[in-house]
Amino acid sequence: MRAAVATGEAARLPIGITLTRTVVVLGGAGLALAALVVVAVTVGSAQVSIGDTAAILGRRLLALPIAETWAPSAEKIIFDIRLPRVLTAMLVGGGLAVAGTVFQALLRNPLADPYVIGTAAGASFGAAIGIAAPLVLPALAIGAGSSLLGLGVVQVLAFVGGIGTVLLVYAVARGGGRVQMVTLLLTGYAVSAVLAALVALLMFVSGRALGAIFGWLMGSLANAGWVPLAFATPLMVVSFVGLLARWRRLNLLLLGDAQAASLGVHVEREKLRLTVLATLATSAAVAISGTIGFVGLVVPHLLRLAIGPDHRLLLPASMLAGAGLLVLADLGARLVPGGGIPVGVVTALIGAPFFIWLLRRSRLLRAELAA
Amino acid sequence: MSEPSCEREGITMSTRLRAPVFILLLLLLAACRPDAGSSASVPASGSPEATASPSEQPVTNYPVSLTDAAGREVVIEAEPMRIVSLAPSNTEIVCALAACDRLVGVPEYQVGYPADVAATVEDLPVVVSFGPVDREVIVASEPDLILAAGNELTRSTDIEALTDLGYAVLVLYPESLAEVSADIELVGEALNAQVEAATVTAGMAERVTAIEEAVADADRPRTFYEVSIFEGTIYTAGEDSFLASLIDVGGGDPITGDAVTTAITLEDLVLADPEVILLGDAAYDPTLTADAVAARQGWDEMTAVVDGRVIPLPEDILITRPGPRIVDGLEALARAIHPEAFD
Repeated sequence: MRAAVATGEAARLPIGITLTRTVVVLGGAGLALAALVVVAVTVGSAQVSIGDTAAILGRRLLALPIAETWAPSAEKIIFDIRLPRVLTAMLVGGGLAVAGTVFQALLRNPLADPYVIGTAAGASFGAAIGIAAPLVLPALAIGAGSSLLGLGVVQVLAFVGGIGTVLLVYAVARGGGRVQMVTLLLTGYAVSAVLAALVALLMFVSGRALGAIFGWLMGSLANAGWVPLAFATPLMVVSFVGLLARWRRLNLLLLGDAQAASLGVHVEREKLRLTVLATLATSAAVAISGTIGFVGLVVPHLLRLAIGPDHRLLLPASMLAGAGLLVLADLGARLVPGGGIPVGVVTALIGAPFFIWLLRRSRLLRAELAA
Repeated sequence: MSEPSCEREGITMSTRLRAPVFILLLLLLAACRPDAGSSASVPASGSPEATASPSEQPVTNYPVSLTDAAGREVVIEAEPMRIVSLAPSNTEIVCALAACDRLVGVPEYQVGYPADVAATVEDLPVVVSFGPVDREVIVASEPDLILAAGNELTRSTDIEALTDLGYAVLVLYPESLAEVSADIELVGEALNAQVEAATVTAGMAERVTAIEEAVADADRPRTFYEVSIFEGTIYTAGEDSFLASLIDVGGGDPITGDAVTTAITLEDLVLADPEVILLGDAAYDPTLTADAVAARQGWDEMTAVVDGRVIPLPEDILITRPGPRIVDGLEALARAIHPEAFD
């Protein structure tokens, strides 16, 4: 039975996994997330009563026969603006946290985040072209107003830029049929530097579009809607399912390439597949929300400290925690009067100090364990 | 500050001009309203002659389809009574058309409004500050018309989203004096305030003509308008920009920067050797004076500095806000360049 194999592996890792533990961790995280989502859908810059909110959602989502006693504007606010935004925050937060977990394991680098091998720089470059091009070359303006199947040109270019850059980095870093993870990191860094310079150049010549590009770089969920959500959801699901199915191989890769290979893992193939799957989630997230920082860096570390490094539990728990964190951060971001502030600012403002606290705490913890 | 006095001047001017403007308005109505009014909004019924009659005031027949500055077709179903403005210039246009009381949402930036506009907007919900608009607050204010600004001043993503939510979004982005008037008339048609719009634009046209005549025979000094200096980069009027055209109408020969970034290098500026330097940024920073400019490295040899023609312009908001008071800005500009022509 699979469970027996898993227990055998888990014995080698510091913290074992039991069914009870899984239920407690994932159930608790799931309930907390559900509670957060309820709060986030109820609270916003416009006032809609809790009763109306529940009734609107019941009518639209569950097709309950509830009489329309609320103003049409309330239904627009809840169903067309707030709900897709909260769901987008969940999806993006979950996707970034899972991708961060995978990259940290894959690169065996604690500083790794979903953007580290070029996704962010590539997506930013794509988005900046999409935003600035119509203003620099007015002939392109016709394309910018219209959208590709209801999806903005900017989002498509960001997605393609993110995926394309990682594939390029991977191809460049490859040598003799192998990819050294250090080489991958450094190549990603170098390619990102080139793309960041091009983005800076685009920003400089973009005139009025500067604000839009800058806002995109800071990460924002202000443009969330059903169409971008429908674009990103299938990509995320493919990535989640693919990554969750690979929890055991991720665990084995933690032991080192040689060890993993001796235990039957096709190391090079798995590295590529994991990279592509994690990049899929990252690019889908970035395409619909810009580059939101710190979620993909902090959440995996936090959870590894809390529940240990076994990816069978770590991956789904990261997903739930990342989703909850971004829903919470976006709630704070959009409650700032006058149209809100970019959620990327909030995640960095909360995330960075929290990360420092975490580092100090884990050092103390390790010192205690060593003593 | 000299700004209040400038506003008072604008008000007395418009009162004084009321009679001639009314006559001009009647002429305008007779000359050009018929085809614009009838073809757009009266399908087949009623002869064009009836609408052309000068005694009859032009009215907008709803639903009306208008083409905005972004080239979009915007259909307005009924006379808008709940208007959200996403730019200060749009707010001023609505108020100039005596529809201030129809505003239900305004931008956070409320600097430099005339007193009546300031009093109206102060208690209204804020729907946008510097970033994207607050979609929830806009929807909650239940608008029947949203007046956005073009060229990413209102983000195109927001314009698209608000349109998708089912609102009539009219994008205004005038890039010349003629387009400011055209936009005022467009809003007039949208609000069924065509008479008010024609009055405003006729008044503006008359004043522009007066300014043009005043500076017609004067020399045209090379004029540099300082928009701002940020981190060492000098921003001025872009090539072929609205601001450059205002300087031109005001009787100066504009020294322009890049068409997109609106930046000019100090080297190019020294080479262009301005005869007049106008400090638009002095409106926001009182430490910017002629002495401060003379003390800048590389600026002391410029003709304008040597001749003492470095002039702070507290009217920057009037000059850069493309609304009904743009002519006040133009006049301030012309007076600064040619004080002798306005004695």
